[in-house]
Amino acid sequence: MYVALLANRYLTSRIIPWIAVAAVALCVALVVIVVSVMSGFLDMLRTSGKTMMGDVVIRFPISGIPHYEDLLEDLEALPEVAAATPTIDTFGLIEMPYGTGDGNNMVETVQVWGIDPESFNRVSEYEDILWWRTPSMEDAESLPSDDLRLDPGRDRTEAAMSLKDPATGAPGIVLGMHISVFNERRADGTYGFQAGDTNYWMPGKQVELTLVPIKGGRLSIEPESRAFSIVNEFQSGVFEIDKNRVLISLQDAQEMLRLGSGTLYDQTGKLDPETGMPLVLGESPARAIAIYVRANEGFTPDQLRIAASEAYDRFWSDNVDREDRTVKPPSPFRVSVMTWEQQLASIIAPVQKERELMRILFSIVYIVCAGLVLSIFWSIVYEKTRDIGILRAIGASRPGILGIFLIYGLVIGLLGSIVGVGLGWLVVTNINAIHDALGEPAPIWLTITTFTVAAVLVVFSIHAAIKGSILRWLLGVIGFLIIGVVGVGLALHQGFLLWDPSVYYFNEVPSKMDWFTAFLTMGGAVLFSVIGAAIPAARAADTDPVKALRYE
Amino acid sequence: MNDSATNNETPILQGDDLRKTYRLGRVEVPVLHGASISVKEGEWVAILGSSGSGKSTLLHILAGLDRPDLDSGDVRYRGAKVELQDGGKTNHYRNKTIGFVFQFYHLLPELDVLENGMLSNLVPRGKGSGIVIFMMAIIGGFLGAWLGGMAAGDWGLLPLEERTPVRSVVLSGACAIIGSGVMIALSQIAQAIILRTRMRSGEAADLARSTLKDFGLAERYRHRPRELSGGERQRVAIGRALGSSPDLLLADEPTGNLDEQTGTAILELLKEKHQKGLTIVMVTHDPKVASYADRVVRLRNGRVLEED
Repeated sequence: MYVALLANRYLTSRIIPWIAVAAVALCVALVVIVVSVMSGFLDMLRTSGKTMMGDVVIRFPISGIPHYEDLLEDLEALPEVAAATPTIDTFGLIEMPYGTGDGNNMVETVQVWGIDPESFNRVSEYEDILWWRTPSMEDAESLPSDDLRLDPGRDRTEAAMSLKDPATGAPGIVLGMHISVFNERRADGTYGFQAGDTNYWMPGKQVELTLVPIKGGRLSIEPESRAFSIVNEFQSGVFEIDKNRVLISLQDAQEMLRLGSGTLYDQTGKLDPETGMPLVLGESPARAIAIYVRANEGFTPDQLRIAASEAYDRFWSDNVDREDRTVKPPSPFRVSVMTWEQQLASIIAPVQKERELMRILFSIVYIVCAGLVLSIFWSIVYEKTRDIGILRAIGASRPGILGIFLIYGLVIGLLGSIVGVGLGWLVVTNINAIHDALGEPAPIWLTITTFTVAAVLVVFSIHAAIKGSILRWLLGVIGFLIIGVVGVGLALHQGFLLWDPSVYYFNEVPSKMDWFTAFLTMGGAVLFSVIGAAIPAARAADTDPVKALRYE
Repeated sequence: MNDSATNNETPILQGDDLRKTYRLGRVEVPVLHGASISVKEGEWVAILGSSGSGKSTLLHILAGLDRPDLDSGDVRYRGAKVELQDGGKTNHYRNKTIGFVFQFYHLLPELDVLENGMLSNLVPRGKGSGIVIFMMAIIGGFLGAWLGGMAAGDWGLLPLEERTPVRSVVLSGACAIIGSGVMIALSQIAQAIILRTRMRSGEAADLARSTLKDFGLAERYRHRPRELSGGERQRVAIGRALGSSPDLLLADEPTGNLDEQTGTAILELLKEKHQKGLTIVMVTHDPKVASYADRVVRLRNGRVLEED
């Protein structure tokens, strides 16, 4: 009973344990924030894969996979597969509907995806990432009143889903949100137009897209150009994708790259003896360069990759001996079946390793916790030697004395880690607001308030000096210096960009809490606080009552 | 209390041939050279001696706070040998059999007057207390591990890609530690609440209140020791010593740190308790103080010289 009483009193009647709680909390918060941002970054990389490409990609570049319709059918029959879609990806040039100032239109290099919107939407989150669509009631409430998406007349969802101009039926194209230089990202994450000029609203404008078909390993010398009508724009959240990717229909991409169905001619120069024309070998099937596959609930990308790879093996063996198939699918050895994570291994793997390294390096925090608690408790036990002697003299047992300090350490570890995780959670979930605030000049009221507090501290320290209190004077001077420097910093602060999307891949700082790390750090902090308390507690328990009572 | 060994002839407390040598580095300082003392039930014995005569050491050994030398005789309570090795029996002897009053009061500054007064009643920890904490730790550990396992798996705390058995086990382990910690902390909070209830209406609190009230401290229950005068502090200390209703009160210079008037008041208080049957062994260097006792034992250079 007295253990609870004294542990409680020792905790509440002095400031030192609260300093220990604050130190443990800051250590825990530090780990939680850093590792959460890194985990969030990893998670966003993975999610962005799902957003745009599903979980697994079956790819045979340049000449593509023929008879892919059969492969799609096989894939969609698998329990691991939720949906699959054929795509074409290549690079091209796009002539934008605005000039460079010297009379020519601006031309950008872009990554072009040919997609089948309906199946692509089932594999990816195509519809969700379209920018020009009417926001939900809930989203609309949080949008600024001048956001153009609030105008239902600007909804272009249907056009994007058909990839046709709604007015003319011309081929449509969807641009990444950062391709048009006139789309300007605002601090709240929405987009406006440079100088507020809505003439630069992209949907409805014409662009010319040039693709270069490549065949048989040789560069075709006949680039294909076509006019497209911009039907929508998208924002995937991945800066690199939004900056240089455009979407056209699969059929348009196949036609422009000569990957559509057609007649297959002999490539060796043989002529048809009857017509004198190149010898016709049969029908050339349409091809897809990549098949994107989305996993069903409960299946990992790796499980899906194995299933998709086996499905491709079956597809190949079914087709390779069929005589009616003039064009055979490429051998499984030449086709890559990879998860999104494997495709981005060069980015994901270092971040993953770095995060694990951080977790290991930050385990030093546990030693800091143990050291803090140990040093504080050592001094407390030293100071409380006489009290321990009194308790021993009136019959307190050694385990009882040990218990007081162990429970004391446990409570410090628990409180510190709970506060630390709470603090970490607050920072992580508001990290973008904090980042945005840092990006803006400090509000004038905050600067004035800071200088006012600094002035009050000057008065306080002068008063303390007159009264002859060195401690108060010193506290006043230190407070003035700290607050004064903060005030000057705020006055000079003009905003700076910490998270540059072009460097960090994503438009926003990841803000997902890493609960695994949070619980791990909490457990470690609690355990090591108890370990830190154990040594002084054992010293206290070993205290001989008479020696302790003589101690002054 | 060894009632079987009790009869009218047997002293309540007896120390035979007690020897004690302190070691200060390589130097041996003998303090007691075979001191013997016998105290009858209901007696008030004063051990009188000058500074360094070994009177406090003798009292500490009689109280079970210090151990005599290996070749020393022993301490007997009602004829039964007192275990002077640190352990459960010694703790019980210190807590229940005797009450000890120090010269410098030695109150716990974090506790108020009532809590200090109750302390000797709060200190005994039943074996159940440790078992409760152990059980709470085990239950909390299992609960935490189970919740950690659920969080790693069904609740999706770990992304599917990172859900490995090692990570799940690590998470369960961390949650087990947190669970144990939370349950132990909760058990201590529960104990604090029970204690608060007992302090309002419990038997120990009533006894402490009535003792402190007798000592004129009824208005001071919620005061901290630093807010009391020396005499008040010593009265609280005596109240604490009597809190567990001991058979014997051992007092080491109980008035040594007080002015004469306050000292007299304290001695009158002890006299009143003695008249109600309390056996007292008191150490003092002051013959005036010693005159309150029924019998005075003189100690010089670690030996009992004479008994008055």
